[in-house]
Amino acid sequence: MTAKVRDYVVLFINGQRHDIRGADAFMMLADFLRYQMKLTGTKIVCAEGDCGACTVLCYRHSESAQSVFLPQNACIITVAQLDGCHILTVEALTENGSLSAIQQAIVAAHGSQCGFCTPGFVMAMSAIFQTPHKPLCEQKVKNCLTGNLCRCTGYQSLIDAALAVPHSIKPLFERFSTAETDGALREAVAMPVHLVHDKYTMVAPLSLTDAHHWLKTLPAARVLAGATDFGVALNKGKAALCPMVSLHLIKELYDVIEENGRIMVGARVTLNSLRRFSKTLIPELASFLNIFGSPQIKNAATLVGNIANGSPIGDTLPFLMVCDGQVHVWGEQGERVMAMADVYRGYKTLALKPHEFISHASFAIPKKSHKLRLDKASQRKDLDISTVNSAFCFELDDVSSTVKEARIAFGGVQATVVRLKKTEVFLQGKVLSPHTIERASVILQKEVAPLSDLRGTSGYRRVLADGLFRRYCHQVKGNEDASP
Amino acid sequence: MRRLDILPLMESLPHDSAHLHVTGAAEYIDDRPFYPNEPHVGLVYSPHAKARIVAIDFSKAMSLPGVVCALKADYLHHNRWGSIFPDQPLLAEHQVNYVGEVIVVVGAESPAALREALKMVKVQYVLEKPILSIDEAIEETSFIGSERLIAKGEAEAQLASSPHRLSGVVTLKGADHFYLENQTAIAYPLEDGQLEIHSSTQHPTETQSLVAEALGLPLSAVVCITKRLGGAFGGKETQAAPFAVYAAMVAHATKRPARLVLSKDDDMVITGKRNPYQVHYQVGFDAKGLMTALDCHLYGDGGAYADLSTAVLERAMTHVDNAYFIPHARIRGVVCRTNYHPHTAFRGFGGPKGVAVIEHIMEEIGHFLQIDALDIRKLNCYQGARNVTPYGQTVANNLLPELFTTLEERCDYRARRSALDAWNQDPEHNPRGMSLTAIKFGISFITRFLNQGHALVHIFRDGSVQVATGAVEMGQGVQVRIKSLVAEFFGLKAERVRVLATATDKSANTSPTAASSGTDLNGTAAVAACQQLKERLAAMLVKLIDVPLELWPQKTAGLGFMPEIDIAPMDNSDVVFEHGRVYVRHTPEQSVDFADLVNAAYLSRLPLSAYGFYKVPGLDFNKLSGQGQAFLYFTQGVACSEVEIDRFTGEVKVLRADILMDVGRPINEAMDNGQIAGGFIQGVGYVTTENLFYNQEGRLMSHSPSTYKIPNIHDIPRIFNIELVKNEGNTVNLQGTKASGEPPLMLCFSVWNALKNALAYRHRGQKGMRLAKLPVPATAEVVLRELRPHAFLAWEQPFLASRQGAKAHGNKAKSAF
Repeated sequence: MTAKVRDYVVLFINGQRHDIRGADAFMMLADFLRYQMKLTGTKIVCAEGDCGACTVLCYRHSESAQSVFLPQNACIITVAQLDGCHILTVEALTENGSLSAIQQAIVAAHGSQCGFCTPGFVMAMSAIFQTPHKPLCEQKVKNCLTGNLCRCTGYQSLIDAALAVPHSIKPLFERFSTAETDGALREAVAMPVHLVHDKYTMVAPLSLTDAHHWLKTLPAARVLAGATDFGVALNKGKAALCPMVSLHLIKELYDVIEENGRIMVGARVTLNSLRRFSKTLIPELASFLNIFGSPQIKNAATLVGNIANGSPIGDTLPFLMVCDGQVHVWGEQGERVMAMADVYRGYKTLALKPHEFISHASFAIPKKSHKLRLDKASQRKDLDISTVNSAFCFELDDVSSTVKEARIAFGGVQATVVRLKKTEVFLQGKVLSPHTIERASVILQKEVAPLSDLRGTSGYRRVLADGLFRRYCHQVKGNEDASP
Repeated sequence: MRRLDILPLMESLPHDSAHLHVTGAAEYIDDRPFYPNEPHVGLVYSPHAKARIVAIDFSKAMSLPGVVCALKADYLHHNRWGSIFPDQPLLAEHQVNYVGEVIVVVGAESPAALREALKMVKVQYVLEKPILSIDEAIEETSFIGSERLIAKGEAEAQLASSPHRLSGVVTLKGADHFYLENQTAIAYPLEDGQLEIHSSTQHPTETQSLVAEALGLPLSAVVCITKRLGGAFGGKETQAAPFAVYAAMVAHATKRPARLVLSKDDDMVITGKRNPYQVHYQVGFDAKGLMTALDCHLYGDGGAYADLSTAVLERAMTHVDNAYFIPHARIRGVVCRTNYHPHTAFRGFGGPKGVAVIEHIMEEIGHFLQIDALDIRKLNCYQGARNVTPYGQTVANNLLPELFTTLEERCDYRARRSALDAWNQDPEHNPRGMSLTAIKFGISFITRFLNQGHALVHIFRDGSVQVATGAVEMGQGVQVRIKSLVAEFFGLKAERVRVLATATDKSANTSPTAASSGTDLNGTAAVAACQQLKERLAAMLVKLIDVPLELWPQKTAGLGFMPEIDIAPMDNSDVVFEHGRVYVRHTPEQSVDFADLVNAAYLSRLPLSAYGFYKVPGLDFNKLSGQGQAFLYFTQGVACSEVEIDRFTGEVKVLRADILMDVGRPINEAMDNGQIAGGFIQGVGYVTTENLFYNQEGRLMSHSPSTYKIPNIHDIPRIFNIELVKNEGNTVNLQGTKASGEPPLMLCFSVWNALKNALAYRHRGQKGMRLAKLPVPATAEVVLRELRPHAFLAWEQPFLASRQGAKAHGNKAKSAF
């Protein structure tokens, strides 16, 4: 263990350094900003990372590949988790008392009505204009603002505002990041953290070995990566603040690498980083990640977190199931590798031994001949929890449409995400004819057993599973037989 | 048919708080700094839809560190409230009637202490059987108020002799307001037993009254201040007031300022929604599709208490006609008492219920006769002498026929219809549909006494002006409109005028800012106040221009060596106020700076403040007979929407929407456009994705944005055009303007009907078919059930049978994830 330990976290807020200890470190960032820092421009509405009114911009020093501030929800992340970050709030944006170009554009386009969501939109929109970019299109603007809800404007005026922002504005990073701020953060993240306040504890070790040591020392401890689900559970009284082992100071966990036809993803790699990384390697994954959650969530949430959370509707899980996903588990004997198929024992239950945690996940890059397709169906197309999600990956003979290999995984149809092995076996070696599809759809129904809940009835989930299967067959073959 | 002119885009002032919104400097109630001893207020509410309260024990909660008080019904001086019928307790004492009914108010020094304390309050219940649907309420004859009737002609006889008759039921679920700023109030105790309330309310006067009554104070001891709301949409018209009472109770008990800020989850569970409705109709029509008679019966779900539900019903019943002439009508309606949160005002009030019914009927007549529904609508819309509503009001200044025709051309309806016909012939294509619907929305509170406006105007010696009215700013831009009106009236730049926070000590006995009437009522009152001031200043000017500059009061009043200028009543129509100067029309060279004139008036002891009042003339609707002039005028508009349904998932996309509105001569076109765009999108959510899900016990399960889906930025139409028509003819209202707040929401039924149209293509060419019965909201599941009934039959039924007790259809399932 390193000798020097911090009993405080270091973060910069709007260019000012703050060393935060005690109770403040365990507050949600939005509460801390509003009630301790009097920065009340950051609003709290849903306290679950769904509406974006609390959006702040965050630069994490350890993700040094990116010299940009990224939008994040301040309502579901504790101050302690932002150790080593520089946070910008809406109060920082004006320059010498004048509105920033983005703020001016929103005023000019009449993009605010009641104004309560506006600071969040201002922040999310400011995040767009940090790097030199091609002329913006409406779709890109929508993708960047999809994490912000507005109940007054109907959004068009906000889109118009974004499209009217001049391109030549000064990047935020140049304005706020100096050698001093960078140096201070670099120095801070080289030192582990051990915070204790009242019954609350958070440790942030520098290595995987130390993380494992802490998990043994603090038996009730929880491992934190992005903790976007944990933050919600805390706010809603569904979880208590337990001892936390945060992985944010373990450098190697920020790496994502391509090796031997596989991609290896560290536990701190956010879904947004993964989306950028996979753009050329697995375009289907990248475009699926576009409709996965909001930019704010994707900048905090991680692939490994999605696996560890183990929700039956975890949106990356069907993909991992069909692309030979593996998890790397760190424990007593060091590292062991487990196939995705073996990870879940039941509803949100993982096959991990005491004190074990997932350090990496990896998956295969599908070959050209493999037709990967990732889908989700939800009450609302974007930024919604799936009712059913799916991954299909068939290897087809180009000429005969014969299925050489079929892989099908579904979420939302069982207590865990599942592969539909019987349907896969049935399809293998068959031509994707209307007859085959009909027969497969019958087998498929025997492999799913969805529940009814507020997102849809079990019957709806069955018909969705059927529809997603048919849509895939339709698209992969480019044929007309899949019509329901 | 005359084509209407389109209003060119005019330069509009930005929202008066826009620069504060974008910098985060706009202060909402919870942004006010905390006093060091200020308790956080929390609520214990019923988890049961209906139960007797046997015992309430907060001794354990009180023993926790940091807990300052726990109060129940016995603390209140008066424990009944209700805007129409006082049937609702502020705090339940012996009985709870809905999940979310508040029982105990707790004050604690920190959020953590509050959370602990709320868990430690123990309430014992004996459960009773709740009424959880309109059908159950009808069966149990559980109603609020009596049945209402609007009748015209001989509906029954005419129906019997109509060539065609169709009957059916339209079902509309509720919707949550989802204002971003949750219900919030702070109460500050002042000297001598007074209270200052800061409340996120649309109705400061009601909040003031309720706090005073609840605590046994005279109204004069309570002031309610409301600077701005982070959204409201009707949800803070009546239902903000109890939360102010809860904060005031803690302030009253502890003599400390006390703050209540609801979480979104608590807000959604406790507060009422848009009233769910079930409407039974029978319509008669001839072979061309011309309506002969309509008989309909509206059943509204009022929830557990009256709130505004009977008024919502009145608006629903007066909007069943919407844009269409019904020669013979019988419209009956009643409010059901159930065990849900008391439902309340929501943008459009009862309007959407009435409009949904008749627009569904128009669509269905078209489908039944295989005539384009647009032609059915054009045939039936108010025109010429066919212009009297079922409640006897004549539709004046009516542009409906021209609105239909103008939009039909501008959105290229006929060509797109042909393209759709071709598109939908290919079964490989996702079904698409299109519908062009209308709105004719009555402007005025149907309850006559509410139609009054109040304003106080001060002019200061530097020529700057303050205005305070009864209007509450909730994003709609009422303040910037009033600012423009006043500035224009005195010929000043807008920045010389400041509109103040709404407060009951500046504008007293006010009406709620609701019914789209904020600017009409309070803007007219502000102009009335300005008129009094202008008369004084004009009279002063006439005297002043004859006085040599060196003898102006500015030079002489201090020593008093000149006689005071005395004004006399006069005709001031010749006095011009413009560009910050004032002059008599024929001598513009003798103009006086506005501030100099004001200062001279002050020094001559003229009052520079005035209180303006306005009451809407000519309203005489009789709720008992169902006849009379219910509205001052109508705002009208049309919209055409095209949708696509994903045939594999039932998910819906709005491909294009074109809106054409008549809002008279706008004071601020940008604000009106904002209301139209925002109102329409809010409506699109209402008819598609916003699904309130209650479990079997009557508990709302979708109580946050992760489960209750309001439209996201990707849900707006791919192509979205909004235009205003030129109409200078609305002479009855302030400067020829028309209200724009609520009407556009009801254009959402173009989307709802476009979905039915898409589904109807399956029966194209077959006469006598019925339309798909899509409820509101038509969720993806509902749409897919219509689209793939056989798949549901194949995959749902067998598995349902094998799983005992599992109810797959409807809202009776448990949360799985």
